[in-house]
Amino acid sequence: MLGAIARRLAGMLAVMFIVATMVFFLTRLAPGDPASLMLGDQATAADIAALRKTYGLDQPILVQYVLWLKEVASGNLGQSIFLQRPVLQAIGERAEPTFFLALFSILIAALIGIPAGIASAVWRGRHADQTVSGMAMLAASIPSFWLGLLFIQFFSVRLGWFPVAGYGDPGAGLAQRLYHLVLPATVLGIVNSALITRFTRASMLDVLSEDYVRTARAKGLPENRIVLRHALGNALVPIITVVGLTAALLVGGAIITETVFGLPGIGNLVVSAVLRRDYPVIQGALIVIAGIYVMINFAIDVIYTLVDPRVKT
Amino acid sequence: MSDHTKGTSQQGWSRRELAKFIAGAGLLASLPAGSAALAQGAKSVNLAMIGEPQTLDPMASTADLVSGIMMHVYESLYTWDADLNPKPMLAADMPKVSTNGLSYEIEIRKGVKLHSGRDLDVEDVIASLKRWMEMTPRGKAVAASVDKMEAKGSHGLTISLKAPVPALLTHMALPSGYAAIMAKESIATPLVNFVGTGPYKFQERRPDQFVILTKFDGYSARSEPANGYAGKREAKIAELRFIPVPNPNTRVEGVVAGQYHFAEQLPVDSYKRIASTASIKPLLVMPYGFPYFVLNTKQGPFADKKIRQAYQLALNSTEMMLAAFGDERFFKATAAHFPKASPFHSEAGGAAYNKGDAAAAKKLLAEAKYDGSTIRILNSKQFEFHHRMALVMAENLKEAGFKVQLDVVDWATLVQRRADTNLYDVYVTHSSFLPEPMLSPPQLGVGAPGGWDSPAKNVALAAFNAESDPVKRGALWAKVQEVVYDEVPYIRVGDFAALSATSAKMTGLVPMPSPAFWNVDLA
Repeated sequence: MLGAIARRLAGMLAVMFIVATMVFFLTRLAPGDPASLMLGDQATAADIAALRKTYGLDQPILVQYVLWLKEVASGNLGQSIFLQRPVLQAIGERAEPTFFLALFSILIAALIGIPAGIASAVWRGRHADQTVSGMAMLAASIPSFWLGLLFIQFFSVRLGWFPVAGYGDPGAGLAQRLYHLVLPATVLGIVNSALITRFTRASMLDVLSEDYVRTARAKGLPENRIVLRHALGNALVPIITVVGLTAALLVGGAIITETVFGLPGIGNLVVSAVLRRDYPVIQGALIVIAGIYVMINFAIDVIYTLVDPRVKT
Repeated sequence: MSDHTKGTSQQGWSRRELAKFIAGAGLLASLPAGSAALAQGAKSVNLAMIGEPQTLDPMASTADLVSGIMMHVYESLYTWDADLNPKPMLAADMPKVSTNGLSYEIEIRKGVKLHSGRDLDVEDVIASLKRWMEMTPRGKAVAASVDKMEAKGSHGLTISLKAPVPALLTHMALPSGYAAIMAKESIATPLVNFVGTGPYKFQERRPDQFVILTKFDGYSARSEPANGYAGKREAKIAELRFIPVPNPNTRVEGVVAGQYHFAEQLPVDSYKRIASTASIKPLLVMPYGFPYFVLNTKQGPFADKKIRQAYQLALNSTEMMLAAFGDERFFKATAAHFPKASPFHSEAGGAAYNKGDAAAAKKLLAEAKYDGSTIRILNSKQFEFHHRMALVMAENLKEAGFKVQLDVVDWATLVQRRADTNLYDVYVTHSSFLPEPMLSPPQLGVGAPGGWDSPAKNVALAAFNAESDPVKRGALWAKVQEVVYDEVPYIRVGDFAALSATSAKMTGLVPMPSPAFWNVDLA
């Protein structure tokens, strides 16, 4: 077991190295120059060259890569060109809203998606199934920015129940900050519930047609017990996968939702960095996101072994 | 580590807070209307800005967003009145200029307090101006003509020039990459202590959440009546909160819902909604800026002046501005590069403007023996109005017989590509409206994208830049404008307005390029 975990960890490190390398070179391949953007259209070529030198952008790309990799290996993700602060600090300042938004969204998505998928599978072909499938299709098709603006219009402007945007007034406690996440988390939860519903339905349909389910029914076990204990327990592996991967994606920043609701999250940070070609922030944030993604994948694998002992780590 | 960013300590949470949240969530239905539930103290305002300022150092960036916030903290020697004429702010009066225009004697106002509590003196001014001349593009341009700066006593300053700089005061008054006066002991790069003389002082910045400025009780106001940015300044609101809200629709909804007291740069199609909502009112600033197209005069088809003139003849500016801004309330298609109130107002050369004459353009193209080379229109969808204008421009050009190609890229790519004349024939951009011709567009200077350089340009601009008399400069600008219309290094498409919205309770906000919140109150 320990050996298997060690092998997985080594694999994760290799993945992170590949990600870091790809992120670095793909970022530099994109046209655009942070120095030109920062200095504006009145800057001379000499000004731009001087600023490029300040940030080491004048050096050969391989030299930049090696220097950066050394820093990353020592835990330093560099200094943001535009934010004038360490990348890790910039990410840390934005981690809380992104984390809680991801957590609440995935909870809402699972609370909607898993029961809806079960109902859809149990009543396959009936009105309930058609309704759930239709709603899932609708949720998957709705752009999150549109749903977000609709929610703002209705719940914030018309009813006045929630703030339009932001993450709380200065000095706001956690309760007020989280209160600002209710609408965006609901929007993301609804949108992401579609996939969970579809996966739960498909997985449950597979399991419900298994011999042991037929045997359980023949033994006269209550239908609730058959569905929730025997069928759902065995259908969980793909459901956990999709919930886990959705969570990983959300931790990386729900870019559009963060923008619409004016949330100071990691998604906003990455988008701004890409538009400004703030290389250290793009590289640093993507490495952190990739790291979280890899960790969640690892956690999913561990959970598999707990849910289904047949699966070996 | 930047110590001007507080707040991470406030990100912590406790079980008690979590319990509060859960209880709060359960009581949502019983909450009063949202805006009331979120109301600030009576004397603080939430101001929705277009994004996060990249820095709070007013000399480290020319972005309007940076100066729009920090102009409340830092003042300059001169500033603009409502007609964008330079007027004294930290200077006691207008300078005494020698007859040859090479010496400026400036008296600094006495008794002006810095936010640190100390009195401002000439050493602070010299240190700040030096930093401005070392750091900012416009400061560097001025520095090239500055011989020396000398203190005369504790509040006198003499600037000696090697060559006249007729726009010196305008440069000093310009609130963008500006000549902010700061306490000399606070000067550092990066700037971490923001010690100025303004009616507001820096309180806190939390990235992507807010910048907070609070009233400076020791502020020393001028005695003249307020006029634009000039005259008496008074902080009537205790706390200004500048909040980045990048999504324009969210800014609209936020100001409609009452969460924001002010929202800037709103989509023009929200005007009707704003105007019909009793709790808010629209605010239009005209002219706010101007879109312009820069032609590659170095190489490719547009190296030929006749082809550039044919291009100019083909364009219908009114159509382009309509496509970009939707309604005539928000733009003005005008040949004059400066409005009527400006000493630089002139229609000179304007006969070539906004013709949309495909037949005449075709004829000129035939005379120029245009070989059908593709015209590459570099533009970015990041500014939606740029792209909409590029689409109309392409149709105008096709009608006149040009072969065109739209190169749509993100803004960062455009900024890089415009520096290489191999990569475009024309690009779309825009500028804020500035009252002095030499401040924008940069094509009037040397070495700007597009590579415009010609004897006619050099003669006209040399005469203009050597003249200090404002009346004579007006006439000389007309000649420069004529050359621009004749040589077509760029097309100034027209003027556009900025639409903002404020709470109906907000009083005293005057339409200026960057909104200033001193003298503003909440009824």
